Amino acid sequence: MKTHQPEPRTLRVTDLPEMTAANATDVRDAVRKVITPDCRTLQLDLSQTSFLDSSGLGALVGLHKTMRLQEGILQILHPTPAVMQLLELTRLHRLLEIVGT
Amino acid sequence: MPATAAMPPSESAPVAPASPVRLAAWRVDAECAYAPVRDATRSARAFMEAQGLSRAETAAWELALVEAANNAVQHATGPGRRQPVRFEVLCDERGVEVRLTDHTPGFDWPDDPSLPEPESESGRGLFLIRALVDATEYLRGPGANVLVLRRMRELSEAGERGGMRDDPQELAQRLAECEAALTNMTSELASSYESLTALFRYSAELGAGGDLKDFAGRLVSDLLLVAGADHAVVRLFHPEPPRLELFLTAPPGDRFADDVLLSHEHGCTECQALATRQDIWFKPVGGDGEGGRSCGGASGSGLTGICHPFFADGKPVGTVSLVREGSDQSFTAAQISLLHTFVDFLGIQITNARLLEARTQARLVERELEIAAEIQRALLPASLPSCPPFELAASAEAARQVGGDFYDARPAGPGGLFVVIADVMGKGVPAAFFASMLRNAVRCLQPLYAHPGRLLTKLNRGLFEDLSRVDMFATVQVAYLDAVSAAVVTASAGHSPPLLCTAEGRMERVDAAGLPLGIEPGTIYEETRMPLAPGSWALLYTDGLTEARAPDGALFGEARLTAWLNRREGLRASATARRDDLLRTLAGYRKGTPAADDETFILVCHRP
Repeated sequence: MKTHQPEPRTLRVTDLPEMTAANATDVRDAVRKVITPDCRTLQLDLSQTSFLDSSGLGALVGLHKTMRLQEGILQILHPTPAVMQLLELTRLHRLLEIVGT
Repeated sequence: MPATAAMPPSESAPVAPASPVRLAAWRVDAECAYAPVRDATRSARAFMEAQGLSRAETAAWELALVEAANNAVQHATGPGRRQPVRFEVLCDERGVEVRLTDHTPGFDWPDDPSLPEPESESGRGLFLIRALVDATEYLRGPGANVLVLRRMRELSEAGERGGMRDDPQELAQRLAECEAALTNMTSELASSYESLTALFRYSAELGAGGDLKDFAGRLVSDLLLVAGADHAVVRLFHPEPPRLELFLTAPPGDRFADDVLLSHEHGCTECQALATRQDIWFKPVGGDGEGGRSCGGASGSGLTGICHPFFADGKPVGTVSLVREGSDQSFTAAQISLLHTFVDFLGIQITNARLLEARTQARLVERELEIAAEIQRALLPASLPSCPPFELAASAEAARQVGGDFYDARPAGPGGLFVVIADVMGKGVPAAFFASMLRNAVRCLQPLYAHPGRLLTKLNRGLFEDLSRVDMFATVQVAYLDAVSAAVVTASAGHSPPLLCTAEGRMERVDAAGLPLGIEPGTIYEETRMPLAPGSWALLYTDGLTEARAPDGALFGEARLTAWLNRREGLRASATARRDDLLRTLAGYRKGTPAADDETFILVCHRP
């Protein structure tokens, strides 16, 4: 997992591993730790995330709520077709902002 | 932890297009933790890819399996955590079936799992499984449950599969494992077939009637065969006092029930199963160290048992315990589901038999009531005697549950009339029987008709022993009407007081204290003498009359009865006409409310 700031008040997280019951809460908590209070946009780059289960989805929803609490937004960047399908199947594409499918 | 892929030999050569259905099976046990089950799902996906499933198909399977396996890990408790999560994959050209065995307490699989609120961080697992496969089935057993997932394959040119690896030794091993997996699955299928056949046969026997125990015996013997068990013990629950009683064993007369299941250590296994409403696995006590408690030559170790409680309408019916000898192998999920199916069937039979018995019992009670009604009808005089100047009319209406009311009227010397009315406390045959005895005893006391007090005193003394022995008592009112002296002499044994009404419409209530018959052996009954001038009326009745109820529950009461008796227009009517008028008045008051007690009365008019 790597992070950088493509622009001020935006945090982009890349190289995320697969997120399942085994590690989803760890990944979520690790991302929460690097979110600064002034951050308004959290971008999760899922292009390298080949697999996500319902616990992984839960982590995404958790981070979405974290950002909303500090009046920011969560963006999902470049999800793989499999992950995109999963987001649509669970209707989370309506809740989460998805960029670059 | 073997994770192997294997295919029947026909696939080692280039595939002939018209070859029959090709089956491939794969099985792996994964440690009950997230990382190992995740590895197992990857292996399962690889196996499916090797069978030629498309990328989309294997992706869907992988996700469904991850969700299912995570549940198995997440919900495992206690010793279940030390048991592996088993993956079995069965794949042919048309579809894939996966069986996932978990060791959780299990849960009710929802018919149609739905999505949670969008912002919920959990609760999407079951929805995903259901969305990703075509069919799901969750078989619950004690200590182990099996989730069966099925999904049809996409249509594609079958045969273009991933190639076999070359190592012949590895191939042989894979083949052996594949065959073992297939054998297991086939025997499970076969036993399901056997159970179905058996159940059809039992259904056919149902109409034939026959003995429940014989039927249950055959059913349980068949269960032994199909579930691979050596002993079966069926006990039935009896609520008063709560206990489990041996119903039957298979084989019949098996000493196993007494020797092992009821031994101190395991006597409560069955009670516990019934109380917790859950199957209980147990290790019956074997021969070693138990002083000859071995069963049927078993080695002493290697006994496995399961106790299954069964219920009807939520109420406990009994338990069925199966024991397997010489094997530490626990019963499989399929064998447990057989046990459940057979026992459900047995439970229905037992419930039916009990209902039948209850119905027979109800018929007996009904018959008893009919007999009691017969006795009571026979008690009442077919016709009242004609004793001028007295005119008589009487009525007796029995409540649904026959009681012991009766009345009698006898001529007593010149110008004399003796009247008795009685209510024996109690219902049914005993009360009617006793009323009959009482009536005959009164008739035998004819010399005392003119002395009601002495008559009751003697009657009580004579009947006391019989009455008190059966905890019964009777209220009795007797009256001697004398035309010569124009008077009525009454005595009462705890009965409703008679009402008198003169030709001028003046009312008298003849109050007289006196215990009912059968309370005290030495009671002396006193007499009350009242004038009864020509034109006067006397009404003797049982309390069923004043206790007649209106639809709102209000009692008819003595005030209404007095008011009716006192009605001026009635005073000159015939006794029969007045009786019919009283019956109409009562019916008008009740408006169809059924009588709770017998309603009996006698009207006597001293004609001028």
